[in-house]
Amino acid sequence: MSITLDQLTKRYQGVPVVNDVSLEIGDGEFFVLLGPSGSGKSTLLRAIAGLSGLDHGRIALHGRDVTHVSARRRGVGLVFQNYALFRHMTVGENIEFALRVRRVRAAQRRRRRQELLRLVALEGMDERLPAQLSGGQQQRVAVARALAHEPQVLLLDEPFGALDAKIREGLRRTIREVQRELGITTILVTHDQEEAFAMGDRIGVMNCGRLLESGTPQDLYTRPTTRFVATFLGAANLILARQGSDGPRWGARPAVHGPGACGAREREVVAVVRPEEIEIARSSETLACSNFLGRGVVEEVLFTGALERARIRLDEQPDAPILAHANGDGAVLIETTRPQFEQRAFAISRGQSVTIGVRRAHVLPTPLSSFTICAPNSSAAERLAGNSLLLDLSSRMKTRIRKHLEPMLGASTPSRDSTAALPGTAVIGARAGVASDAKWLLEHGVEEILILPEHAPAPQRVLIHWTDESARSATLAASASVLRHLAAEAIYIDVLPEQTSTAERSFGIRALLDARSEARAAHGLEIRTELRFGVAAQALEQRLSESPGHMLIVGVASTSQLTSELAALLAMARWPVLLVHRERGAPAHSRSAA
Amino acid sequence: MRDGQPTVLPGFGLTLGFTTFFLSAVVLLPLAALMLLAGSTPLQQLLAAIASPRALASYELSFGGALIAACINLVFGFIIAWTIARYEFPGRRLMDAAIDMPFALPTAVSGIALTAVFSTNGWLGHYLDLAGIHVAYTRLGVILAMTLIGMPFAVRTVQPALLEVQRDLEDAAETLGAGRWYVFRTVIVPSVLPALLTGFTLAFARALGEYGSVIFISGNLPLRTEITPLLIVMHLEEFDYRGAAALGFVMLAASFVILLAINLLQTWGHARMARGEQ
Repeated sequence: MSITLDQLTKRYQGVPVVNDVSLEIGDGEFFVLLGPSGSGKSTLLRAIAGLSGLDHGRIALHGRDVTHVSARRRGVGLVFQNYALFRHMTVGENIEFALRVRRVRAAQRRRRRQELLRLVALEGMDERLPAQLSGGQQQRVAVARALAHEPQVLLLDEPFGALDAKIREGLRRTIREVQRELGITTILVTHDQEEAFAMGDRIGVMNCGRLLESGTPQDLYTRPTTRFVATFLGAANLILARQGSDGPRWGARPAVHGPGACGAREREVVAVVRPEEIEIARSSETLACSNFLGRGVVEEVLFTGALERARIRLDEQPDAPILAHANGDGAVLIETTRPQFEQRAFAISRGQSVTIGVRRAHVLPTPLSSFTICAPNSSAAERLAGNSLLLDLSSRMKTRIRKHLEPMLGASTPSRDSTAALPGTAVIGARAGVASDAKWLLEHGVEEILILPEHAPAPQRVLIHWTDESARSATLAASASVLRHLAAEAIYIDVLPEQTSTAERSFGIRALLDARSEARAAHGLEIRTELRFGVAAQALEQRLSESPGHMLIVGVASTSQLTSELAALLAMARWPVLLVHRERGAPAHSRSAA
Repeated sequence: MRDGQPTVLPGFGLTLGFTTFFLSAVVLLPLAALMLLAGSTPLQQLLAAIASPRALASYELSFGGALIAACINLVFGFIIAWTIARYEFPGRRLMDAAIDMPFALPTAVSGIALTAVFSTNGWLGHYLDLAGIHVAYTRLGVILAMTLIGMPFAVRTVQPALLEVQRDLEDAAETLGAGRWYVFRTVIVPSVLPALLTGFTLAFARALGEYGSVIFISGNLPLRTEITPLLIVMHLEEFDYRGAAALGFVMLAASFVILLAINLLQTWGHARMARGEQ
């Protein structure tokens, strides 16, 4: 491996900007780090170059641990967005800089300079000053300069950011050719997904300091595992669907299910449908080869040359499919793109009523599909709907919040004969009797419950715990889903009884390692682990009280645990808590992303 | 001048005319009068005024002292500007404001203040005296006063230039393998060199013309701690306007040559940096 990053963490004022990033990049690979601004990608690159320190983690280049090696001895070449050429030096002097530092003889320097200028197609420009060159040429010089000392690794920090489209194209090609010719391992940082597709052998997508997913452009585009990647890499319609045995089924009404039917429950899932996978036809009979989604009215048609873009407003019907994310003034708009031949076969215009079909849908493995606020009355529901953590999560997860009034919540004698239909994650307010509320919801088929206290700071640390091994996979999947959207650290806590013998303690440590490796392998989530002794609820409470800004994710296997062991902890109402429930022996719903 | 594009301010003709008039009335005309006065002096008298041993000694002190003071300001002004431009620390704003103090003080007050501190019975001078270093009434004192007066000029010209030097340049040099000292020498200093030269020029010019603060601490011993401006004032007090004008002319000519040289050096540096800039 050329570049190995192991659990890199960098904090600014307590907030992790690079959060437990681990990555391996092979020899000669062109790796693209893609993410929106502020996602930590440039900080990560600077850390690899040795220009910014780390709070935690290790970096190895070609098997050599360079974590504590200064930037000048790391042997990396770095290219900046603003070129960073030495303006008082000629092109030749700029390129020779690294060689001069190393006291290379003049004749040899000149030879290397000629070689590099030829490589970046700037022969004969030696005597010019940077100010006399165009932006594209300056960036070529910067690339040549970064390669002069034959670095093991080339790092490019948004190198095309300051260039216009035409020059960008040419420079991209040059850099890719140079990279292939030299076989040098390269990392490119960019926020432009088109650029990432055009250049990368592999792409890693970052958000909120975390490396969410990495893979080949094709894999990430067709089989993303996170909402963020699905929507950041190209356009996507996120549609809430029911996962049946034969694929996703569309429609607003989730299956009604009573208590005890958890195993057979049709889970609500999030399906990714790319605009080009949407088929438009006159009626459902004329749909060529796709799955009927619904009917709608064409809202907007844009001609963009090769493709036609259209937005279609879905008809409001009780069984119409629901977009996970309401786009544009709450409307439900499906985005489509169609090539020329489809436009000729069936022309559409604004206001026309059409039938929509789906050729191919990809179901995200995330267990948190949408949020449903459950409250006994509408004022309590409004209060919950204004909760900042819930709003943050739902907007970052691009999912919707529904409201459901449930008078049974908080009632002293919860009745069982409610026909509640609660899709997705239930959200309830924290109060003294919250454990019985949660129990009631779990008994009605809900599997994830988010319990929100009235006031709690944005979580900086998420503690993960499960009371039973059977809840492990589901808890980890839910944790991964939450943590992808929070700039917070994840810590798994295992609690062993006080009188644990030394021999049994080693089992505890083994459990920690298992949790860590499962989180990493199945969800790409890096977590830290802690082992505590005592009674679980008390140990958790103690850990939560150590500092503010905690959130708790706890997995349970039976509803009775709620009202017995965890009731006191939940009643404190000081931290947001995500409850994950999996009946012992129930099939694991979370598909591993490995 | 560019083509006749409309601009917010009145056009080239008007502004050039105003510039010429203003420069003539305030700068060139008085200087011309000075030269005329010096030129109309009989040669014998002129030589006697400008080549007397006292005058020669005062040139040496004025120009030499100003040069040394400007050099000191170049080094320390750079360090001060670097500290203020690059680091964030408590009291930074206060320090930033304190730099301008010598601008605001009447120079005579600076002179009195310096004398109070550095005279043989002053706060610092007392201890320096014990160590065998005499500041007041020596050439050292003259240089000290000149340094104090010129310091803000050096800092204020270098500071914006340092802010402009991109951190990326230093990072780039570092990843290319350069050590700190090498980066400083080959990247930072050349980037701020034009500003450094300007600061040097201003500090030098200010020190050369300084009168008020120097005469208090110098003691004005003929041939030893007498600066040229003081000699000119003495001529004036004796109503020897021609002698004063002659000395003034020498100062003027010498500083003109020095400033021109520095300016040319700077233009050359600028041209090298920004040739063909879009």
